[in-house]
Amino acid sequence: MNKISNINLGGFPFTIDEDAYEALDKYLKTIHQHFRNSEGYEEITTDIETRMAELFQEKLEGRPIVTLPDVKNVIAIMGTPEDFGAAEPFAEEIPRSSSGKFKIKTGKRLFRDPEHEAIAGVCSGIAAYFGIQDPLWVRLAFILFALTGGFALVVYIVLWAVVPKADSASDRLAMRGEPANVENISKIIEEELEHVSKRVSELGEELKSEFASKKKLSQRPLAKPKKAGTTRTPSGILSVRPLPKGFMF
Amino acid sequence: MKVQNLLENTKQQMRKGILELCILSIISDEGEAYPSDIITRLQESELIVAQGTMYPLLARLKGAGLLDYTWKESDAGPPRKYYALTEIGNQFLDGLMATWGQLVEAVTHSTKNLKANK
Repeated sequence: MNKISNINLGGFPFTIDEDAYEALDKYLKTIHQHFRNSEGYEEITTDIETRMAELFQEKLEGRPIVTLPDVKNVIAIMGTPEDFGAAEPFAEEIPRSSSGKFKIKTGKRLFRDPEHEAIAGVCSGIAAYFGIQDPLWVRLAFILFALTGGFALVVYIVLWAVVPKADSASDRLAMRGEPANVENISKIIEEELEHVSKRVSELGEELKSEFASKKKLSQRPLAKPKKAGTTRTPSGILSVRPLPKGFMF
Repeated sequence: MKVQNLLENTKQQMRKGILELCILSIISDEGEAYPSDIITRLQESELIVAQGTMYPLLARLKGAGLLDYTWKESDAGPPRKYYALTEIGNQFLDGLMATWGQLVEAVTHSTKNLKANK
């Protein structure tokens, strides 16, 4: 048994199995991500969707429901975004090599990182953008910056408002500058699962320590340096923090 | 195995170079061409492996002013885009064909001894 959905693909209506829908959705998101910054983005993606709809109609031959093998088949015919790149004479070759041996990361976009956020994920987003392993350093920089006049607060709030949150897996890949192919997206999904279980145990520990020091809890502003404190240098962070009046967000 | 990989890579590069010429020629030949028909013709000559490849190429050619399209009603489904060459596109294709002629000559010339020896 399988749940079904009704979709409109390139102007054609289809009834599609749930698992087939997910595979198709993932593929189309990868395509959208790939062409996001290309000239004629809108056109390329609609044309591809229309073509896929035509292929589905050919494959179905009167069958009522699109199944997972149909989707896999059509994806194989259309090809992956990597294949598309191969036919672009003017496309830069750099991203292909950078995904391999070299660590030059191109095509990055600045996002807020909701997975490693302390407040709004601005600092962790910046860390991901510049390839800094631990967002703690960016946070420290912000704190120091705030100490010297509070200007960092304004910057932070502006970034919070302006920078989009990396909601989807492909956003997160763009944030780290990794190409959005199917392999990477499944990697992200695995990471997310791991992250969730880690977060649960972390939360448990945090709660324990919060209750242990109720006094400190009342002094603490909000979440900001909390995570940094539990992972790295608790005393160091605490000593930098006689100023948390500035950190009211 | 290594030879296979190298060959595959070079083959791809070669195809890449002439795909544009072939797409423009097909469109010029048909007068007005629907992308799916272009794909069918490209497949007949085994020039295209991944069909999705063609769409960014069409978008780029249109962006460069070589192609333009019109919408036409279709019997089955939503209206379809039909591509046609613009004036610049025609000139471009002429230039490309001339270059292609030179290339064919150059390749024939460079490889003739190779064939004779074998």
